[in-house]
Amino acid sequence: MKNIIIGQFIPGTSFLYKMDPRSKIIALMLLMVSTFILSSVSHILIMLGVVLVILKIGGIPVTRIARGLKPIMILLLFTFTFQIIFIKTGNLVFDTDLTLTYITLPIILLIVIFWYFTKRYTRFKFLYLLITVFGILTLLSLYNPGSIISSSHLEIYQDGLEGAFFIMIRLIIIVTLSTILTLTTKPTDLNLGLEKILKPLGIIRINAEEIAMIISIALRYIPTLLDEANKIMLAQASRGVDFSEGKFKDKIMQIISLLVPMFIISFKRSDDLANAMEARSFVPGKRRTRLHTLSWHNIDTSVIVFCVLVLASVITVRIML
Amino acid sequence: MAIKFEQVNFSYPSFDGTNFSALKDINLEINEFGEFITLIGETGSGKSTLVQHMNALVRPTTGSVTIYGIKIENDTKKKGKVKLNPLRQRVGLVFQFPEYQLFEETVLKDIIFGPKNFGVSNEDAIKRAKEVIKHVGLDEEYLKRSPFNLSGGEKKRVSIAGILAMEPDILVLDEPTSGLDPKGRDDLLKLFTDIHRKLNKTVIIITHDMNTVYKYASRVLVMNDGSLVYDGKPTELFSTNNIENWNLDIPDIISITRQLEERLNIKFNSQPKTIEDLFILVKEVI
Amino acid sequence: MNIIEIKDLSFSYQDEIQALSNVNLSVKKGEWISILGHNGSGKSTLSKLIIGLLKADSGKILVDGVILNEESVHDIRRKIGIVFQNPDNQFVGVTVEDDIAFGMENLCFQQSEIIEKIKEYSKKVDMSDYLKKEPHALSGGQKQRVAIAGILAMKTDIIIFDEATSMLDPKGRASIMEYIKEIKKAGVTVITITHDMKEAVLSDRIVILKEGRVIACGETNDILNDKETLNSSNLELLLPLKLQYLLDEANISNDKVKDILWQLSLNK
Repeated sequence: MKNIIIGQFIPGTSFLYKMDPRSKIIALMLLMVSTFILSSVSHILIMLGVVLVILKIGGIPVTRIARGLKPIMILLLFTFTFQIIFIKTGNLVFDTDLTLTYITLPIILLIVIFWYFTKRYTRFKFLYLLITVFGILTLLSLYNPGSIISSSHLEIYQDGLEGAFFIMIRLIIIVTLSTILTLTTKPTDLNLGLEKILKPLGIIRINAEEIAMIISIALRYIPTLLDEANKIMLAQASRGVDFSEGKFKDKIMQIISLLVPMFIISFKRSDDLANAMEARSFVPGKRRTRLHTLSWHNIDTSVIVFCVLVLASVITVRIML
Repeated sequence: MAIKFEQVNFSYPSFDGTNFSALKDINLEINEFGEFITLIGETGSGKSTLVQHMNALVRPTTGSVTIYGIKIENDTKKKGKVKLNPLRQRVGLVFQFPEYQLFEETVLKDIIFGPKNFGVSNEDAIKRAKEVIKHVGLDEEYLKRSPFNLSGGEKKRVSIAGILAMEPDILVLDEPTSGLDPKGRDDLLKLFTDIHRKLNKTVIIITHDMNTVYKYASRVLVMNDGSLVYDGKPTELFSTNNIENWNLDIPDIISITRQLEERLNIKFNSQPKTIEDLFILVKEVI
Repeated sequence: MNIIEIKDLSFSYQDEIQALSNVNLSVKKGEWISILGHNGSGKSTLSKLIIGLLKADSGKILVDGVILNEESVHDIRRKIGIVFQNPDNQFVGVTVEDDIAFGMENLCFQQSEIIEKIKEYSKKVDMSDYLKKEPHALSGGQKQRVAIAGILAMKTDIIIFDEATSMLDPKGRASIMEYIKEIKKAGVTVITITHDMKEAVLSDRIVILKEGRVIACGETNDILNDKETLNSSNLELLLPLKLQYLLDEANISNDKVKDILWQLSLNK
């Protein structure tokens, strides 16, 4: 467990890396707001184009972004289906009967079983799932011999299709934008940037510096804790805890045997750490100077100006149309 | 033969994406009975990784480890036929920090946790706990106490008792004496020699203390940069010149004997093992 | 001149037996003093009291003539640095340079000064090639060296090493002892807390603690000659010293051998 990397930062040299984290965070927010204001498919496609251009100039491979999209695939699929099924305005573009019969039912079961046992052999699991689902739907609509079990009706309208497409693009843009930020900014820089941006919150008694200190200590200790969790797991495995097996009752015991040592060690650690910090003259809430400071360059100004312009034009378009 | 390493390599991906070799071509045999082995080497030389292979906690990247007739290879687990758990009962491994394993409300519950995982009945496990708590030099009264309110040395003893209660054939301990004061260290080492002699179990200890190696071990293994560079008797190890290359110390008794020989310009006719031996030698010379 | 003055200091943890009772101790400016004792003798408690991480039940501590209390504690901590036992639990920064900077940031050093001092002191502990490294890429000994650099950069008058070597391997241990010698030479007052007599003999003076009481305090030479106290201290005697005692008991005296054994005891 020596390969723990926090965040997704990958080193690079493009303009995105030369920017101040503050301007990157602000730019991200401006573009996100713009994306939310847009309301038509053609406009959001232009926005997607802009994002793709940023990726291109920034030298970020699209495959990296695709990896970032993976965890939200289910969400995307869900919203897509939801939109398609429930919006019933506009022109009818697709209409079919879905009929389940005593002959198609076992065939579908066979397909599902086949999919279940073969899915591990393909690298494109999600695509495979989509093809399977699509195959079943096609079967249901076209092939209906034998006596009928149930029958339903699938209608897809233009608005539903457009809405689904629109929401999907919007989500993709937002995830892509935030992935760009995390790919090109070290967690520590991101933390520092956030601290500076949140500083005005001091007025409402939110101490940005303290929050930043907590995040920075978390960043420092997460690898240590993961390493420790691994060792505890090995230590308990040596006492016969088989993490891959066991009944429900055993499972609970297994988890307790991991959690208790984790907590005990962490308490001791935070106690030690607090002592070490205090001994080195740390006083919570007191002013400190910083080794790392941020510096604003021309590129930051131009990027912000660009993003403000994007937002302004988006608002104009929205008002005009 | 209890444990046999054949051409074992172990590597994992490190920070920069390259593979780090923790073990390189290890060949090693451990007997079931009567060995008192110390495993030494610098931090990061692969000692801990080596012992984690001995009870199948990790599988070799290439090569094989045979534990009581069961061959562990890289794909062993995927095949799903081999049960690794029973091996962990036969080769008991105590980790460096007792905090890694203590978690129950009482010492008793903690000690019986291991045996019960291996299917020992509650009553038998309790019987064993009462037995082993004495073995590790603690009073039966300790069984009722919480493991978290004990001193560092006591925690260590309880964690060892938890492994002993599994009745392993081989006992492996990862730096059991680190962080203890001299008295705590000597008490524990006496305990290990007792286990070794009375119960005739093979004991394997990872240590940085050369005095321990010289005084107790019948066999010493030296790891250096992932390779097993020495496997033999301690007396011979400390008379070779490789000690410095492997960044190892010399036992105090040897260094003081050498210093005396050098400064008095004499040669003792034997290498003393204890300070009393040396006293007799010095007495003869003066 | 005494830089630390401890008078009748007593302390006990909640409902436990006395961790320290009536400790009197003075530390001279620029000296290296060892506090020697086995686990549970109260030696680490003493160090925590000196920098005000614990509050004494009775007695007082003066640092550089100032009484330690709630008002003065922050000023006193500016004068004392401490390296703790566990290398992992005192590494605050995300990288080596961040950790060295931590104390200076707290003391509001200018950024340019911080950068300069990181360069200077990382070099002193031979860690200048590791400035951007994260702690999990370092060995225990390297982490302790980073801790030392961070404290040296704060320019404290006193540095306490609270069993700073006990979790390290022999190589790490030896290197830390070398840095301590250098720090002492540079005029910093050094207090090492240890159970290892081999380490203690390197210092100018030794204080032996047993069950919360000072049972001996004096020049290293005198302490090594005090056979009775050493035997009653439960500490592990140095082998050359043990041999000398055996020779004494057998009434064998040889000045040359005695001299050599003495030199060896002092690690010379």
